[in-house]
Amino acid sequence: MKLLEVKGLTKKFAGLVANDSLDLEIDQGEIVGLIGPNGSGKTTFFNCICGVYPVTKGSVRFEGREITNFPAHKICKGGIARTFQLVNTLMNMTALENVMVGAFCRTTNTNRAREIAEELLEFSGLPEKKDILGSDLTIADKKRLEVARALATKPRLLLLDEAMAGLNPTEQKEAVELIRRIQREGITLLVVEHVMQVIMPLCERLVVLDAGKKIAADVPERIANDERVIKAYLGERYYAKRATLRSE
Amino acid sequence: MGRLKPLMVRQPRIFWRKNYIFALAFALLLALPFIFTAHFQHHVMIKVLMFTFLGCAWNIIGGYTGQVALGHAAFFGIGAYTSSLCYIWFGLNPWFGMFLGGILAVAVSAVINYPCFRLHGRYFAIATLALGMIIRLLFTNWRLVGGALGVRLPLLPESLWNFQFHTTKLPYYYIALVLCALIFAILYKIERSKLGFYLRAIKESEEAARSLGIDVAKYKLVAMSISVFFTAMAGTLYAQYILYIDPISLMPLMTSILICVVPVLGGAGTLWGPALGAPILLIAIEYSRAWLGGGGRGIDYMIVGAIMVAIIFRPGGLTSFFQGPRFRQWWRRIRG
Repeated sequence: MKLLEVKGLTKKFAGLVANDSLDLEIDQGEIVGLIGPNGSGKTTFFNCICGVYPVTKGSVRFEGREITNFPAHKICKGGIARTFQLVNTLMNMTALENVMVGAFCRTTNTNRAREIAEELLEFSGLPEKKDILGSDLTIADKKRLEVARALATKPRLLLLDEAMAGLNPTEQKEAVELIRRIQREGITLLVVEHVMQVIMPLCERLVVLDAGKKIAADVPERIANDERVIKAYLGERYYAKRATLRSE
Repeated sequence: MGRLKPLMVRQPRIFWRKNYIFALAFALLLALPFIFTAHFQHHVMIKVLMFTFLGCAWNIIGGYTGQVALGHAAFFGIGAYTSSLCYIWFGLNPWFGMFLGGILAVAVSAVINYPCFRLHGRYFAIATLALGMIIRLLFTNWRLVGGALGVRLPLLPESLWNFQFHTTKLPYYYIALVLCALIFAILYKIERSKLGFYLRAIKESEEAARSLGIDVAKYKLVAMSISVFFTAMAGTLYAQYILYIDPISLMPLMTSILICVVPVLGGAGTLWGPALGAPILLIAIEYSRAWLGGGGRGIDYMIVGAIMVAIIFRPGGLTSFFQGPRFRQWWRRIRG
């Protein structure tokens, strides 16, 4: 059984087809990358899976259960957590409180929630920031916090929407390490990313979207050399090659 | 052995020693009516406590959850009418009427406020404002409940059971004080519970809240229900205090606005906000009315208006003055 099975997912906004009958299957324990030019429908795809938008057509199954068009909070309770492209930190709450909100998804005990939150702040490398207000964190810390908060809901599938946009190379490296650690915890990841140097070595499989359609799905090495992908997204062939080389 | 010390077991003696400031404040509140003994002063103190209570109730939906509801006077009125009419029609004791009023207010708010939760920010405020005014009009034109003439409560021998006191206002003061202590304890608990965290998360970002497994509509409804339940309870207190209720004096727009401005002045979404806002506002309003007499009509509106403008410069309210690091340091030193 696949962990996540998306079949023929279509999302239309008035006349615009943002997602055109997309298929995607994710196995337990994988890291799958979702790439494509701006406006190709990556975030829409996330939002359709997570119940933010109602799906026009198609189905989403998680662990064999039909979850199409479930409300967002039920999807989260069901075991899919997500982060936002534009960070959605709870600004007037401390880092610890932010993560505690996530932890309350699985417990009603405040002390237990605090324990879980402290553990996850430690895990995501923010232990000394726990009493800082969300609004006072740097963008890199906000992104980490968002991941910690999502993890606090104990997901089995984690959707990361551009968790590395706006980070400098050092921060990116730390973020990659964090993603690897999350995978080692047994959590499956679907990652939207623009930074090729990061996503190529990280993912086992890449899915490429262009104008709402899936144009390729393969291992990173072959994606880097795929004619259509280069034309639609990667641009110069050498750039893509260099990206793969550098990662090795 | 330090590791084995249970975390949450508080010994009462130590609690009071550490919180002697609260103990002192509470003792002062108990003694206050014997320091200021005039009837009018008692009236003002009762009003202050009642609006502290109402402000705390509003704070749950308006402060913590960030849904600025401006129709709470309607639920205040529903509470007053339920207990009063239940006594007159069925002879139900007002103490039970108080809870019945709360339950009825919850039921009404669930029907009329639930659809409003789809609205955000100012649109939610306008919708609740309109609904509050509609309910007042309904009561004004509803013959069965006395219409515009209102309801006069029959005089009974004074006793706690009858919830009526004629020779002195003091018992009303202490009842209001107990109600305030009750709501403070409940809010203190809520602030530290899952509910409190969820309500604050909804205030910050509904989108993030949903993504973290929070059923936003459900929790807004829970917050609103708790809020209107207590608002209606205060309505009963008011009815038993004045012993005459009518839609014009019970549910004016001013009451709705005041219920909102009290906690906002003190600090919306904070435990102590309403307790800071209520004395300032209510003392100013009641005394301007008393000193200026008939010529002072409207001064209270001006005061509320001026304070609303002043809040723009300090959106965190009065409690935000006490949240700086310097104050915390000082506070820690005082508490030892």
